Order: sequence, then C-alpha cells, then structure tokens
Amino acid sequence: MKHVKYTLLVLVATLTAIVVVSCGKQSSTASKELEVACFKGGYDIDFFEQAAREYEKAHPGVKIKVWGNPRVWEQLRPRFVAGNPPDLTYPGWGMDHWALVYEGQVIPLDEYLDSPPYGKTEGRWRDTFEPSLLELCQYQGKTYMLPYFFSMLGWWYNKDMFEQNGWKPPRTWSELLDLCEKIKAKGIAPITYQGIYPAYAVSGFLIPWVISAGGIEAFDDAQNLVPGAWKSPAFLKAAQMMDELRRRGYFQKGANAMDHTGAQMEFLSGRAAMIPCGTWLHSEMRNVMPKGFRMGFFLPPVLDDGKGDPTAVGIGIEPWMVPTKGKNRELAIDFYKYMTSLEKAKQFVEAKGTLMSIRGSDQANFPEHLKEPVEVFRNAKTVWSVEYRQWYPKLGKAVEDATAALLAGDVTPEQFVERLEQAAEAARQDKNLPKHTYKRGQAR
Amino acid sequence: MIPRARTAFIAGFLLPATVLYTVFVVIPVVQAFAFSLYRWRGISANRTFVGLENFHHLFADPLVWVALRHNLLLFLGTGVAILALSLALAHAVGSENRAARFLRSVYLFPQVISLVVVAILWMFILNPSFGILNAALKAVGLERWAIAWLGEKTTALASIGVAHVWHALGFYIMLFAAALRTIPPDVMEAATLDGAMGLTRLRYVTLPMLWAVLRIALVYMAIGAMNIFSLVFLMTQGGPDRATEVMLTYLYEQAFKHSEFGYATALAVLNFVLVMALSGAILALFRHNPQEGKA
Repeated sequence: MKHVKYTLLVLVATLTAIVVVSCGKQSSTASKELEVACFKGGYDIDFFEQAAREYEKAHPGVKIKVWGNPRVWEQLRPRFVAGNPPDLTYPGWGMDHWALVYEGQVIPLDEYLDSPPYGKTEGRWRDTFEPSLLELCQYQGKTYMLPYFFSMLGWWYNKDMFEQNGWKPPRTWSELLDLCEKIKAKGIAPITYQGIYPAYAVSGFLIPWVISAGGIEAFDDAQNLVPGAWKSPAFLKAAQMMDELRRRGYFQKGANAMDHTGAQMEFLSGRAAMIPCGTWLHSEMRNVMPKGFRMGFFLPPVLDDGKGDPTAVGIGIEPWMVPTKGKNRELAIDFYKYMTSLEKAKQFVEAKGTLMSIRGSDQANFPEHLKEPVEVFRNAKTVWSVEYRQWYPKLGKAVEDATAALLAGDVTPEQFVERLEQAAEAARQDKNLPKHTYKRGQAR
Repeated sequence: MIPRARTAFIAGFLLPATVLYTVFVVIPVVQAFAFSLYRWRGISANRTFVGLENFHHLFADPLVWVALRHNLLLFLGTGVAILALSLALAHAVGSENRAARFLRSVYLFPQVISLVVVAILWMFILNPSFGILNAALKAVGLERWAIAWLGEKTTALASIGVAHVWHALGFYIMLFAAALRTIPPDVMEAATLDGAMGLTRLRYVTLPMLWAVLRIALVYMAIGAMNIFSLVFLMTQGGPDRATEVMLTYLYEQAFKHSEFGYATALAVLNFVLVMALSGAILALFRHNPQEGKA
C-alpha cells in the first residue's frame, strides 16, 4: 500500500515538474534562421510560404519559418513585451502599428530603402514602391513600415441586376438619388452596409463625401487635427447626405445590425443592389458567392457641384515591419526585398487578385473583378487613406460610434459633427498621444 | 490525529493544483493590481509608474459607467428570467412523462454549445433580413414588430440578454432539479395535506428548502452577467453607438485597440472588486432564510 502511495507521489511530482519546466523553455535561433509571423486573412499565407521555399533554394543554409493565423496580433503582443519577437512580421489590421513605432519595437528602414533592390547592385529599393503608399508608413520623416498589397475602397454593384434593368452605376449625387428611387420601386434595397462595423460606412460614405464637398484639404485638415476641421461645412454636408439617404429609405432596413459577412451576403443574394467595400470583397466572399455572380466597382458618387477631385480614391495598406529585437535583421530585409521584387509582385497579383504596392505590377493579368478598380486607380489624381484611425484609435472609435448613431437616425447631422469635433478635441488635448502630420507630397 | 505519511500524501496531491493555481491565478491577479498603477502600452517592457492616475481617469470616464450600467441591467434582467424559467423547468423535468423525459435529454444542450456558436445562432435568428423571429412575426401579422433587434439602441441589449439566458438556463435547471430531489417527499406530502398548493407551497415550502442553492445560483448569475464578453463581442461589438458596451468589451477595446494596457488593467481591477462586492452583497442579503424557525 505504501509503495502505491509513493509511486503516485513521484508521478504527481514529475508531472508538476514537466509543466513548470516546459513553461520556461526558450526556443533558440541559429544565425541563418528566419521567423516570419503573418496575418492569415482572405489572402492566406501560402504565397509567403512558397516565397520562403524559393528563397531557401536560392540561398543554401537559410531556413525560413513562416507562420500565421487570423488573430496573430494577439500572439505577437506578448512576444514583443518579452523581447522575443519574430524577425519579420505582417501583424495584420488588429495590431496597433504606431504603438510599436513609439515604443521603438520596429526599426526605421530608410537605410535599407536607399540600398539596391533584390539581386541588383544599383538603384534604390525605395523607388520600386508606389510613393503615395510609402508616405503612409512614415513618422517624423522616417519610414517604419513597408506596404505589400493594397486595397481600394469604393462601391460595388450587382452587374447582372443593373444590366437586366438598364441601370448604370451612378457617378453623381443626383444620379444616385434617381437610381435609388428606381431600385426601391423594384422592391430591392438600393444600398446595404456592414452596420456592426461602422468603419465601412465611414470610408464608404462619410469621407468620400467630405472630400467631394470640401476638397481633399477638408479631409487632410481633419486627419491633422486642425481645430474645427471635424465640424467643417464639408463634414456637415457629408453627414446631411447620409441622413438624406436614410430618411428616403435607400439604405437596407436592418443594415445597422449586420456584420460584414451578413451585409455582403445581402448584396450577393440580390436583396441589395450596392454596397461599399474594399477590393478584398471578392476573395472574402468567394466561397459563398452564387455561381456566375458578377460585380462591378465604382467610386462613391460625388456631388454634382463638388469642390473635390472626382477621381479621388481611398486606399488602405496592411504593412510589414522589422522588429528591433529580431535576431536576423539583414536576412529579414533581404527576404522582404525578394518578396517585393517585380516578379513576385506580379505573381501575387495573379495568385491573389489584389493590387500591389510595387510599381509596374499593374501590368499583370488582373482577374475580371479587378479590372475596373485598376482603371480607377490609374486615373486617380488624388489618393487618400484613413490614417487617423491608426494614429488616434480613440478618435477612430468615436467617429464610428457617431456614424452608427447617424445612420440609425439617433442624432442629427449637426449633433453628429459636434460629436466628431469633441472627439478630435480630446485627441488634441491628450498629452500622451504622439501626434502625426500628413503632408501631401508630389506623390503621383 | 493524522499520521505524518498521510499528511505528506495529502500534501502531495494538493501541491500540483496549488502550484498551478498560484502560477496561473494568484500571481496574475496580484500582478494586475500592480500593472494598474502604470502607464503601459502593453507592447514593450517599458512601463511608467503613474500611481492612481488610471483610477482617476476611470472614475471620470463616462463610458465606464455606461458599460457598468449595462452589466447590472443584464444581471437584473437575466437574473429574474433565469430564476423564473429554471425553477419552472426544474419542476417540469422532475415529473415522469414523455415531455419531461424529452426535456431532460435536451435541456443541457445550449450549455454545452460553444459561446461563439450560440452568438452566431442568435444572430441568424434575429437577422433583420432572413431571421426566423421576424419571419414568424410577419407570419402572424406583426409586421411592425419585425425590426433589426441587434441594430436598435432600445432592443440590442435585451436581445443579447435573451441569448445569454438561453445559453445559461441549462446549468440552473440542473442545479435546481438536483436540489429539488433532495427535498424529502414526506415534507411535500405533509404540505399538500395541510392544503398548501401551487404558489403557496412554492413560497413557504419549496423555496425555503432550496435556499442554500438559490444563494449560490444568484452568485453565479452575478458573475456570469458581470463577465459577459463573447456574446457582446460577436453579436454587436458593443454597438450600436455603445448601446451594448459592457465592462469586458470596453476593457478589450482599451487594451488591444487603444494600447492602454495600464488603463485596461485598472478596469479589470475595478471589475474584480465589483464582482467580489456584488457576490458578497448577495451572500449577506440571503444569509438568513426568512422562513427558517417560523414553522
């Protein structure tokens, strides 16, 4: 009997020891090994894994471990805190990128950007990127992040539905109102949106109409927290336009309660005719898309007498970065140079059906649903991006809350802009919040 | 007197649990109290000691009180609903007929489903475009009642409460059904012979005999309502316009979206204190069984 007790005791003690020891185990990294942590979203990470295998082949002795998942940012936070980050990372939209910069957790890349691109002995790597996208990665004159693919923001319409009814995508506000009336008469909801995530309505309705009403300066000033900019006449006008669509019943009933997939399904099922969304829409919904569904892209309709550039287009990037405490900086940079070479960029465009930040990659074979966006981007004289949401996350959230309230009819356009300005004032007053200034370069 | 070998034996078995509990529960809780005194982005080891600054902000932050109000409303609303439904259903599953047997085999199902699935299920039911709730309302002519339940400020929180009740109910039915079985049948019989039936018997006989279980059930409900997160996070993201914001979704927002880990930890400390206080208050309020010694 006693034996049994002691055996049990030893067993229990051993188990405890195993738990304690395995918790403290550290992974060791040799000098030719690279760890790349990626966000695994609609474009998956298989392309990066494939690139790693190719790079390993070309550079014997190098081992690259690419891993990722849809919530990778949550796993990366403790790694950064512990001082044990990966060598190269694409942490995804859920990561507070600028906090990494403020904390010195990622390195400025300008020195490398001024060096030659992959496999070349001259030229600057910097010049291979779309300059307007690189601009978004800078803080106090230094470049801390690098773009890879980018998305364009706009509206999508149901091509078959439009053709059958003889409708055309509206270019102006008055065309939009006319069309919505016709669609509504058919018993179809003219416009739906991803109400649970009001960011879609912000970049799909609010900002394009601010730019149309007040010019690009109206939006740049707002992002730069110029006093009064968030309640300028341009913002009020944009809010009134959203309110008017709501009052006329042109938004799908119940859209406020829909998440992104829910609203996008409404669009795909033909219950709604138009939806604001980025160019990722097709790949996000391809598994549930009705066979043969065709969708077309167009810019949000502009005011008939708008001050803003009607070709202005919203874009978004999800950047890559090199952690300061990564163990193999040079290798990480060289691998990323390989991934951003023109050849790889074109391959990414064709494999994933998205636009790339590498110049010349728009000469690739685009899938059908991207041909219109590419055309729009080529014609765009102004490019804008929602940066305040990353710079000042609390302001971003406040704008989204207010937008949800406006679309529900809970606040008037006047109260709406007042709320925005108050949130901007709170950001201005927050001493602990590092401030950004966006100066529009001679980008394009 | 316990022999020494036996003491060592018992200690040996307690050790792993104690070590695990200390490492994964006690130390993090103590750490949380410490972190709440720092300004910390939660993305590097840099922390600045700021004393009680986070708590000053917290008491001045209107959204904390909005969230807390929602938690308490959920506790009251779901508490009453769960109590009434689970007591009734616990009675029902105790009988011996086909319906009761069926109920016994299914009442725990919602409890064992993952919360993510529960959330998605209810989002489908409440869907404004193709949900069965609105379809049913339209079928009986209540067209005007077919609204976007999760999209209206007035109904979003209640809708989440319904999903929460649906998920949690099975556990409380089990709790009360087990407790009901411990009531000696002769007591019930005596009460019936004395003419105590229905609600009278429930009030003067059944409830007093369930008192201890009732008390624990209330504490569980309080903890459940104060720590609600997944349902809100998945069904509404705290919206529309903060109408369903609760303490833990606000905490998540501060920590992961705003990189305010120090502040988020202060929120966690506040939530911890509130849950403790609420549980303590319930235990104190329900310490004495009002019917005890009256007979």
